[in-house]
This record gives sequence, structure tokens and C-alpha cells, in this order.
Amino acid sequence: MGRLHGTLGVALAALLVPAIAVAQEKTLIINSFGGSYEEHHRRLVIEPFEKEFGVRVEVVTAYSGDTLAQLRAQKENPQFDVVHLSGGLETIAATDGLLAPIKPEELSNYGDMYPFAVAGIEDGIGPMYSTAAIGLLYNTEMVKTPPTSWKDLMQPELGSHLLVTDAASNTYGMLAMLMMNQVNGGDLGDVTPGLDFVKQLLDNGATVVSKSPEIQQNFAQGTAWIAAYAQDYAFTLTSAGLPVKFVQPSEGAAFAPITVNLVAGRPNRDLAVKFIDFSIRAEASAGWAEALRYSPTNRTVELSDELAAEVIYGEEAVAKLVGFDPVQIGESRGEWNEAWKRALTK
Amino acid sequence: MGGATAGRPRGFSVAWRRHKEALVLIAPGALVLVLAFLFPVGHILVLGFLGEEGVSLEHYAAFFVDDYYLGVVGRTFRLAFVITACCLLVGFPLAYLAARVGPRARILLILLVILPLMTSVVIRTFGWLVVLGPGGVLSDFLQAIGLTGAPTGLLHTETGIVIAMVQVLLPFMVLTVLGVLQRQSADLEEAARTMGASFWRVLRTVTLPLSVPGIVSGSLIVFALSISSFITPTLVGGVRLPVLAGSIYQAATGSFDWNFAGVQSTLLLLTALAVIIPYASLMRRRTSWQTGAAPGAGHE
Repeated sequence: MGRLHGTLGVALAALLVPAIAVAQEKTLIINSFGGSYEEHHRRLVIEPFEKEFGVRVEVVTAYSGDTLAQLRAQKENPQFDVVHLSGGLETIAATDGLLAPIKPEELSNYGDMYPFAVAGIEDGIGPMYSTAAIGLLYNTEMVKTPPTSWKDLMQPELGSHLLVTDAASNTYGMLAMLMMNQVNGGDLGDVTPGLDFVKQLLDNGATVVSKSPEIQQNFAQGTAWIAAYAQDYAFTLTSAGLPVKFVQPSEGAAFAPITVNLVAGRPNRDLAVKFIDFSIRAEASAGWAEALRYSPTNRTVELSDELAAEVIYGEEAVAKLVGFDPVQIGESRGEWNEAWKRALTK
Repeated sequence: MGGATAGRPRGFSVAWRRHKEALVLIAPGALVLVLAFLFPVGHILVLGFLGEEGVSLEHYAAFFVDDYYLGVVGRTFRLAFVITACCLLVGFPLAYLAARVGPRARILLILLVILPLMTSVVIRTFGWLVVLGPGGVLSDFLQAIGLTGAPTGLLHTETGIVIAMVQVLLPFMVLTVLGVLQRQSADLEEAARTMGASFWRVLRTVTLPLSVPGIVSGSLIVFALSISSFITPTLVGGVRLPVLAGSIYQAATGSFDWNFAGVQSTLLLLTALAVIIPYASLMRRRTSWQTGAAPGAGHE
């Protein structure tokens, strides 16, 4: 009897040890962006993933810039499995070798994605699980004729009622600057036309803001009528009761990627890839559009007409989105920041 | 020889035995200082000298040939001088009043001065954004009295930065000057008044000269805090009026150029030291002069 118990005990222990080891392994460490974004993130992706795969996901609240800084500092001993980045920082991280490539066949949702959203995965740039469109926001009560072009910002009568977003500290601001540059004949190799355009806007009296809440403040106080900014932020403003509408200008809106990336040099790659695959499924993409008006990157997403009108939706509208080469942005951004600061400083 | 080599460890152990409590007590603080201050600051100092290939001065060269960054330094110092002067103009009379009124009124005045310190500087700055911004209280007031026709404000102006910074830094000036004024004997002023000197003459020839240590030290604190402050100038001044601390933040978190951030941090530290060290030695000389002269002066 004693011997049988002993054997059973050993057998049980043998069964349990790997189970404990697996349980320890099955924790995924990710970042999210905090606030209501993180709440939606938990509801749409993190909690369903934990339930479906029986694992634990530990969320560290950190914006893209902070996350990249942490990844760099932890290069020898990374502490994240999956990181969410935005605004081109994923390209910088991938170029620095902080992120790991993923093969298309590893993602079951790969075929459902718009090609631009998964273009970089084999270079370590994770798939875009949603995007923010950068166009024009205007106050529907104060602006009689809605703007239709980026060049409409150059109406002297707009004067101080125009907000320009800082391109050096704010990615949406940088993309808006690149759009103004493009419609004025510039390209990524030469942003002078864009900077000259912005300088003229400033001479007309435009105000420069650097953070989203400043945009809300200026719209709420009635001093701002038009701003070049993101579609999802238009929703934030309308949710706050402000009469604001977003337009995709005739020259197109720029898109800001929001990506989910695989960190290089971590032991549980398989689970991390599953999380990434789970993040880009249609339900999640639709959920982001519904919750915060980020545009879906999964082409199988079905949206109601009302909702579809408030995001960039459908092949035709998506085709008009303007993408800028993230590698070149990564290379030139420092230079642009310097030129931008000089153009702005009084 | 043998005795000398043996003597050293014994000397150390004697020192250890004699100062054990002091060394143990200082250890946690020293550890925090090394880990949280000396190590990171040292790291930043080194970063500024690291080029593509080893040690280099390229980042420093990039800083000094650039009109833009020299302009940023110029604005930082100009603002710091104006802020310090304003703090002194507002703070000295306040401190003088607090030193000469009765104890109850003094507590009330001190409370008024330090109460803002209980609130985070970020919160206070947000308050200023509301007050100074277009459509804010100031703008409404100017419109109401008919000075301006449209919403205006001091947000994104150097004047706005100065106003907000003076409010933030005033307590440091008032408390420092107050400390010196309170140590001054009011008898000296009364004696001067009985001899027929006017209030202003007493102020000019007695009170002010005796307050110099407090004025200098308060000004230095305000000046040092002012050139290194970041939140208030950035929020009130906006991106079009960059100052050095904001520029460091931008280099580190916006452009990810840590080397250049290191250069700017080092220069900021050096300028702060360049102001503080001469002051410290001056004060030491002054204190020894005062303690030497004080007994005689006191009895005169």
C-alpha cells in the first residue's frame, strides 16, 4: 500500500510539474495606452483572449513613446511579449531589431486584412489592428462651407480660428504636415513646401497646439473652428457635446498606423503570435470602430451605415487613404523636427 | 613597515567603531542618492560625449554652431532674470510685511504664501491655462472693460510664462527673505527712525543691506528653479516659445536623441553650478565676516 501511494505520488507529481511550468509560462506581458482606450482594449481583445486560451495577460500602461524607450532600455533582457505602438514608432523599433518578424501563414486572419495593414510583418512591423485617419475637423455651427481640401486651411478669414498641431511632438500633427506638404508639391525628400504653408497659416494667426486636450479646450471655448487632426478625436469632441465633424479632404486623409507587435528575444513566441492574430480578427476591428471610431483594417468587418459614415470604411474610401513610407519617416523625422521647430519658433 | 600596513585596517575599524551609528544612518540616503541621482546624472553626462565612434565633441559642436539652440538658451536665461526680478519685487515687500506684523497676522501671511505649494505645479499651471487662455477669465475681463473686441489672452506669450512662473516660485523667495528679515533686530530700524531717517531711507540704508544674504539666496533659488523648470513654460508658452528644459525633453522623448539631450542637460547643470558655486563661496566669506563683526556691531 505504502509503495503504491508512493508511486501514485510520484506519478501525480510528474503530472503536476509540467502543468505548473506551463501555467507559469502562460503569462503574456503587453502594454496598452491607459484610460478608456485600455478599458476597451480589455473588453475587445485582452479578456476574450484570456478566456479562450486560458492564459493570463498582464497589462502595463505605457504610451508608444514610453514603450519604445523601455524596449530600448531592456534590449538585452526584454520584459514585454507584445507591444502596441502607433505613429511610426513600430518602424523605428523594427529597424532597431527590437521586434521580431511574423510569417503570413502564422496569422489565420492574414487574408482578411487590407494589404497595407500587414505590409511590414515580415520585417518585424506588426499588423495594424486599426488606423486613425488624419483629415480636417470643423465646427459645424461656425463654418458655413465645410472644407473640402487641405488648401482650404489657407483662408485668411479663418485667421486665429485655425489650429495647427505640433509636428515635432505629435504624430498626427506630423502626418497633417506631410499632407499639407504633399498638396503643395512637396514630398518626403523635401518638406519645405509644407513648412512654408504652415508658416503662412501662422502669419494668418493660427494657433499651435501640441496635445489633444488643447484641441478640445479650444473648440469648447469657441475660439477654434478648424483643426487638422484625427477622425477618432472628432468622435471624442462630439461625445463631449461639441458640434464637430470630420472630413476626408479631396486629396485624401493620411492614416496613422496602430500596430500590435512581437517583441524579439522572448521565450513564448507562439502565444504572443496567437495574441497578435487574435487582435486583428474582424470582431476586434469592428469593436474599435464602434467604441472609438478607429478605422477597421480588416476588410471583412461589417458596420452599420451610421457607423460607416464616421470611419474610413469600404475598399473605395480606404483606397483614398494616403500612406507615407514609415522607413523614410523614421530616417527623416529628426531632421523634420529640427526644421519644424525653426519654422515655428518666434 | 609591518606596523604601518597593519595600522591602516585598524584605523578603519576604529573609524567604523566610532562612527558606526552615523554610517548606518546615512547609508539608506546615500544609496538612494547614488542609485537615483549620481548614476543617472553620470550616465547623461557621458552620453553627451559619445559619438558614432567613441568619445567625441560632435554633439557639443552641433549645439554651439546653432542659432536656434542659442536662441533657446537666450530665452531661458532672459525669462529666468525677469522671473527672478519680479519675484523679488513682489516677494520682498510681502516678506517685509510678514516680518514686521504681529505673530497672528504673520502666520496668516505665511500660510497664504505656502498654501499654493500644497498643490501640484501641474494643477496650478492648468489653472493658469484657464485664466490666461482665449475665452478665459482674463480675456473676458479685457473684453468687458472694452480693451479688446475679440477673445484674446496671454497664453503662448512670454508674459504669460512670467506670470505663471512668478506665482509658482514666489514662496521660495518670500520664505528665504523672511528668514533673514526675522533675524534682524527691529531695534536697528527704530534707532534709525528716532535719529530722523525717513521710512525709505531706513529701508535703503539699514533693512536692505542687512537683507542681502536672503535676497541673494532667494534670487538664486528662484533663478535655478526657473532655468530648469519645464512644465509651466511648456504648457503656458506652447511649442513656439521653447526653453532649455523643454528642449531636453523634446530631444529625449520626441527625437530620441539622447546624446543631444545629454549635451543640453550638461550645459544646464553647468550654468546652474556657475551661478551657485560663486554664491556659496561668497556667502561663506560673508558669514565669517558677519560672525566676526557681529558682537561689536551688536553693542554699538
